[in-house]
Amino acid sequence: MWRARWPFHIRAAAVSQTMMGAQPFETVVGAHHAEIYRYIRRVTSRATEAEDLSQETFLRAYRAYRTLGPEANVRAWLFAIATNLTRNYFRAEKRRRAALLAASVERREADPEGPEDEARFGEAKMLLESTVRGLPLKQRLAFIMRKIHDLDYEAIGRSLDCSAESARAHVFQALRKIRLSLNGHELPPETSLTHMERPR
Amino acid sequence: MNLKPRVCLEIEGDLVAAATGDAEPGAVRRVEHHIDACASCRGEFRRYREIDGVVGALRRAPAAAESVARAREGLESRLADLRSRLVSYRVFPSPLGHILIARSEHGVSLVEYLGEHTDLGASRLRRVTGVEPQEDGTEIEALYRELLEYLRGDRIRLDWTLDLRLARSDFHRTVLRATAAIPYGAVTSYAGIATEIGKPAATRAVAQALRWNPLPIVVPCHRIIGTSGALTGYAGNQIGLKQRLLAVEGIRAVGTRDDSRVARDTLYHYDRNDLHEYCLPTCGDIARRPIGPVTLLASRELAGALGLVPCTSCRPDLHPLSA
Repeated sequence: MWRARWPFHIRAAAVSQTMMGAQPFETVVGAHHAEIYRYIRRVTSRATEAEDLSQETFLRAYRAYRTLGPEANVRAWLFAIATNLTRNYFRAEKRRRAALLAASVERREADPEGPEDEARFGEAKMLLESTVRGLPLKQRLAFIMRKIHDLDYEAIGRSLDCSAESARAHVFQALRKIRLSLNGHELPPETSLTHMERPR
Repeated sequence: MNLKPRVCLEIEGDLVAAATGDAEPGAVRRVEHHIDACASCRGEFRRYREIDGVVGALRRAPAAAESVARAREGLESRLADLRSRLVSYRVFPSPLGHILIARSEHGVSLVEYLGEHTDLGASRLRRVTGVEPQEDGTEIEALYRELLEYLRGDRIRLDWTLDLRLARSDFHRTVLRATAAIPYGAVTSYAGIATEIGKPAATRAVAQALRWNPLPIVVPCHRIIGTSGALTGYAGNQIGLKQRLLAVEGIRAVGTRDDSRVARDTLYHYDRNDLHEYCLPTCGDIARRPIGPVTLLASRELAGALGLVPCTSCRPDLHPLSA
């Protein structure tokens, strides 16, 4: 009937509002957001900054996502973006209020940890955390990427614009400083006998 | 402070790495060998392992889950906002001058004649608010290739999913949808579209909507002309482009640049009728009836594809128009 009225049932172009492509980015968010948040949270010691910078990380990633090669290491790439943003943040912050960047501003949230960990590591852990907060930024970033998030030195180097060897040196320096600042403090004896073979 | 023997200083890096699970097997062996003999380094090694244990506790401590969830929620909403704003584009050379093609995640949202210009500054994208243009080759390249094939006459369909959000109103979108349905090689009029969308008096508004068509070529506003057959306007004042696009589809225009009209005597005519019969331009007074009610068709194949049959009096099947 409508055909007699208007013979345009051959459509020249499909007009549609359906979503196309770009879906896999949802999976990237799902897989990595929490970790990136925790990374930035640990580096900045602040929940609001972690919230904002982790969001910014993924917004940047989304813009560039389609240009990323299929074999790219998405996780290392996200860490590099987050690291960059965090360093920029500290640069700006330094200019704004150099003095206020004391290591003590963290408003601690109650971390729901296992009671066993708390009992054994409670005080030592707080000591370690404050030492890490006092580390120079590059050492702090390298230490957290390596020791908390298990990134390899190649990836850490790319994040920090330096070689894998320099990245390793940053971690070494960080550990030395931690060692010195924990001097004289009783630490729980090592328990894990297998950790020398920890996956690297 | 540096009272350590040189050998101990030299092995310190490996010792720290070995104690914190970060050393090559060779280094681990060297360290083990050394601390067998050196009590002070053995102490250091143990100390670093203790530190590594505390670091392990730090790794296991989860950040408060609710703050992660809150950050995630904020991210989802900012991401949705970005997605709706982000438009990737690229400018390409073409026989019709430079053409910008842009697409959002919903579909192709802009095809724009830039003439001599090759940069975003000349584009509408610069002036539209709420759009974040981003130059991006890969995805748009395929669209460009199809468009070139189309302009060469090697392709008659652009099966692109379209995003009509750059149109100025819902009325404009309605007009664009109706226009998108006009097949390759067919021509109708502004009045015809106005009737099609149920607003027969809105001819001028239809023309205005097509003037702002964000997707020329794809939404084939070049297939819409005046009821008399005059080409009227295109892309500002570029009737030449309209002529070329129609010529690709086998529709010739005659006359001067300022007064060019479709050569009706070279086209098949379809005036609505219950028998779905299409005619030669010489059938009665059909070539003098207004375009709109009458649809012009470039070929018998097109008429057949539209489900039309040859008129039994003028017999276009027996007397095809010469190409």
